[in-house]
Amino acid sequence: MADILINVIIAFLAGSLLLGLHRKIMARVQKRPGPPIIQHLLHSLKFFFKETAFPKTVSKPFYIGIVFILAAVWIVGVIVGPVTKNSLLILFGVYAIYKIVEHNSGSSSGSPYGKLSCVRAVLSAATELPLFAVIVLVYLKTNTMNIGGIISYQSVNGSLAVSIPLAALMFFLLLLTKSPYSPFAITKDKALVSGFETEHFGFLRGFIMFAESISWYVMLWIFLTIFFGHLSVVGYIIGMIVITFITSFINSVTPILNPNHSVMSQITIGAVCFVGTLIMIFI
Amino acid sequence: MIEYLIYLLTFVVGSVLGLLYSYKQHGEPFVADGQLNILACIISIVGWVLAINTGNIILRGIGFLLAGFVMGERPGYGRKETIIGFVIALIIYLLLHWII
Repeated sequence: MADILINVIIAFLAGSLLLGLHRKIMARVQKRPGPPIIQHLLHSLKFFFKETAFPKTVSKPFYIGIVFILAAVWIVGVIVGPVTKNSLLILFGVYAIYKIVEHNSGSSSGSPYGKLSCVRAVLSAATELPLFAVIVLVYLKTNTMNIGGIISYQSVNGSLAVSIPLAALMFFLLLLTKSPYSPFAITKDKALVSGFETEHFGFLRGFIMFAESISWYVMLWIFLTIFFGHLSVVGYIIGMIVITFITSFINSVTPILNPNHSVMSQITIGAVCFVGTLIMIFI
Repeated sequence: MIEYLIYLLTFVVGSVLGLLYSYKQHGEPFVADGQLNILACIISIVGWVLAINTGNIILRGIGFLLAGFVMGERPGYGRKETIIGFVIALIIYLLLHWII
């Protein structure tokens, strides 16, 4: 229990700092000073002490409940990933529930921005296909879906990033989609204000930001562990900073795609990488 | 894992203190400060050296607190000091572990 609590707090703090770094790098690329790296964390904490308002149009039980589900989902992500190193399928389930949360958070608010974001959340399920494909490919290569087993496989046979690089690219596409201001982040397009989060204020927004920080840490941890094996703490820190740097650089110089282009790009890249990896495995 | 939590917490606390302190010192609109702050530089060097080169949890915690203090200063301040401190700590680490 203590281990879970420690890992969740680490995930929250590290994820917040990484997202702060993400904003900072984006700002520097765009020749702005940008906020301090600590800003995302301060922002998250601030919301817990702000007044919480409930719009008249909301479906209240759903509107409130979904936020706690979101936080719970990513806490499960920490337990399945860094704490127990369990099955990748559970993590796929976690990500699938995250999409449902994204969808229902928008629809329960009653706001037109939230509803449009909710519709786009259905479209953006295209990001899950590469994730599922990656799990299948990793299973075909290693004969296991257990993260501990995948680490053991890599300690004997070398890094999966070298043997199936296109699968790593697919997973990186998922990370890119998940990162803030991503060209594929159609659910949080600025035309929709903050998308499905638009009508969540006060401590509810605090919980959403808490979950987002944890999710960024968990996704980076999974990517590094699946494709680079068991790294030292310094290895994880460097890996997470490098990926955050790359995604922030891409996001700062790329405009957001329209929903159709976003989905088609993701599916096309996913399909090419999937077929390419299958060829690499079987031929 | 508890030690990493301590390091993260001390770094965060140091950053918050650094931010508050530097806003007290510099209330003006954003200017990229070209001058090196010697005091901040010394704090940064001590912080990073302690954080990277000691094996003791308490000393490392203090190191991350000091390093975070300078790194967390308001935008435009503490950049050069942080880089100098980190590079010196890294050189000392390499000297201690690889060369000697």
